[in-house]
Amino acid sequence: MRLRRPNSLTFRLLLTAALGILLASAIGLLLLSIVFRAYVEKGFDARLTLFLDALTAEVWIDPSGAVRLQDPLPEPRFNQPYSGWYWQVTPTFGQGLKSRSLWDQVLTPKPGFTGDTDHRYYTQGPEHERLRVVERDITLPGSSLAYRISVAASSAEIDSDIRSFNSFVRWSTIALAAGLIFSIFIQVRFGLGPLRHLQRALANVRSGRARRLEGEYPREVEPLVHELNALLDHNEKVVDRARTHVGNLAHALKTPLSVLKNEIGKEGKANGLDTQLDAMQKHIDYYLRQARVAARGGVVGVRTEVSPVVDDMLRTLAKMHRDKVVDAQTRGAADLVFRGERQDLDEMLGNLMENAFKWAEGRVRITLSRQGANAVIDVEDDGPGIPPGARATVFGRGNRADEAKPGAGLGLAIASDIAGMCGGNISLGDSELGGLKARLTLPAAL
Amino acid sequence: MRILVVEDDEALANQIVETLRGEGYAVDHAADGEDAQFLGETEPYDAIVLDLGLPVVDGLTVLERWRNADIKTPVLILTARDRWSEKVAGFDAGADDYVAKPFQMEELLARLRALIRRAAGFASAELSCGPLTLDTRSARVTVDGAPIKLTGHEYKLLSYLMHHQDEVISRTDLTEHIYDQDFDRDSNTIEVFVGRLRKKLGVDVIKTVRGLGYKMEPPGEAEAS
Repeated sequence: MRLRRPNSLTFRLLLTAALGILLASAIGLLLLSIVFRAYVEKGFDARLTLFLDALTAEVWIDPSGAVRLQDPLPEPRFNQPYSGWYWQVTPTFGQGLKSRSLWDQVLTPKPGFTGDTDHRYYTQGPEHERLRVVERDITLPGSSLAYRISVAASSAEIDSDIRSFNSFVRWSTIALAAGLIFSIFIQVRFGLGPLRHLQRALANVRSGRARRLEGEYPREVEPLVHELNALLDHNEKVVDRARTHVGNLAHALKTPLSVLKNEIGKEGKANGLDTQLDAMQKHIDYYLRQARVAARGGVVGVRTEVSPVVDDMLRTLAKMHRDKVVDAQTRGAADLVFRGERQDLDEMLGNLMENAFKWAEGRVRITLSRQGANAVIDVEDDGPGIPPGARATVFGRGNRADEAKPGAGLGLAIASDIAGMCGGNISLGDSELGGLKARLTLPAAL
Repeated sequence: MRILVVEDDEALANQIVETLRGEGYAVDHAADGEDAQFLGETEPYDAIVLDLGLPVVDGLTVLERWRNADIKTPVLILTARDRWSEKVAGFDAGADDYVAKPFQMEELLARLRALIRRAAGFASAELSCGPLTLDTRSARVTVDGAPIKLTGHEYKLLSYLMHHQDEVISRTDLTEHIYDQDFDRDSNTIEVFVGRLRKKLGVDVIKTVRGLGYKMEPPGEAEAS
């Protein structure tokens, strides 16, 4: 869920939300500014119209036909040159009249008859300032001419209001948009939380800490979790079935093999048939084990407690070797958990411990310990041990079934093969008890 | 010695039964779990060879039922399933030994002999009573080192008595343990066999306990009347 990656849900959700917010903010900003300008202009125009009305009332035509004012307008700025406030009376023909503030300049009326509505527009005035103009056409008694009366004022007054309003609105909108985008970011993080939780749960399944997806999920994610769990269950079932089939086939072959073996035993071993039977048996054993390895790939999330397996083996071995008095001790971490299948641990420990019981004079010791990410199981006996030079050969390595040699080392070889498949190994050393110390190192589950 | 063989595969069952008979055992055969359970509960066997994959009722269940019914006959499990988890389950159900298929007949015989000996409380493969020695491995009987030649029935009878020294064995016990269930039993023949045995051995080790049966005892410790 990193923001940098364009192909993330967070990025997509944030991008669309941000684009929408920015667009809406821009439109809002524009509309507000247009409405405010219209409002301010309306007020300004009303002031100008007051002067226009006053001017209309004061204008008269003297007998010579010249335009006159009865009284000056009550606004001193009309008399200061270039003050920004101007008026002008323009007849369609001949000499008009204008405010003193216009000095040597004239206003150019907008062409076209005003009719009932006044003209309201912006224009360029003296000193290149922007002027707001309100004008109207009237007729005056004593003249047949039409007179255009104009009142103009610099728009600087309203422009600064509009500018400060726009600036205020712009910053408010930016703050609002930023706030919205931030809250959407928080919402997305919070909303996608269950997905991160799901990812962690899946990681737990893969690492063997859980067999299925655990925990509560929102209604939208729940079906996905349900399907994933169903998939995990199905996977487990398929693996189990494949294993059972291979097992059944292999075991079904063993009974006829027994019969053949015994028949041939009676005839004698001269014709070499017994070696063929032995080869058959080795192939069966080999592929039985291989099938288990192939099946293992799909199995996830299994954990096996070590202590109960050790207890089972001790109980069974005591019965198998009841002619022998063996003092078997277990010590160390009783809560050790192996990340793998019970059957595999059964085979590894069974073979190692049987070896120890077989060779022991009277003592066997099992030590469980956790070393980092590993579960370490030491199986020691007080028997004759194996000299260092011969240790490598007892594993009888070789992946082909017909290379495996039967004998004292076979159990160790099988245990070592399985340990390798489980991601562990077996090493041999000297025991304090005087015999062999076989160390089984396996991945531990947390 | 009387043995029950429980195996559903006909060919293998025949082989085992023939071999055991050849070794001087009285052998009964059951082909399914139900028969096996009934025979085991009603006949006094000295050992049982039990296959686990059986029709009707599986072997492990039969074994558990025997043990629940307090039948202590030593049981040797014979199975193609040789995983450790299955061995643990077998021993936990009350098995005394375990042989994985495919097996050599010699191995089965050796395990069976050891099983019977252990049940009778002997540690060695050679049983002895005074000057008399019986080697269970080779079925050889010697008196003071000199071999004695015995017929099948005589050996069976002596072997059962030797396995149960210090016990008084009735004629019924003997007939039940040296004949299989199909044999036409007649306890009078036992007296004939015992008479012949005493003559062949030449030493007085088989004592008659009047009204009860026979008992093995080294010569000179005469306390029976």
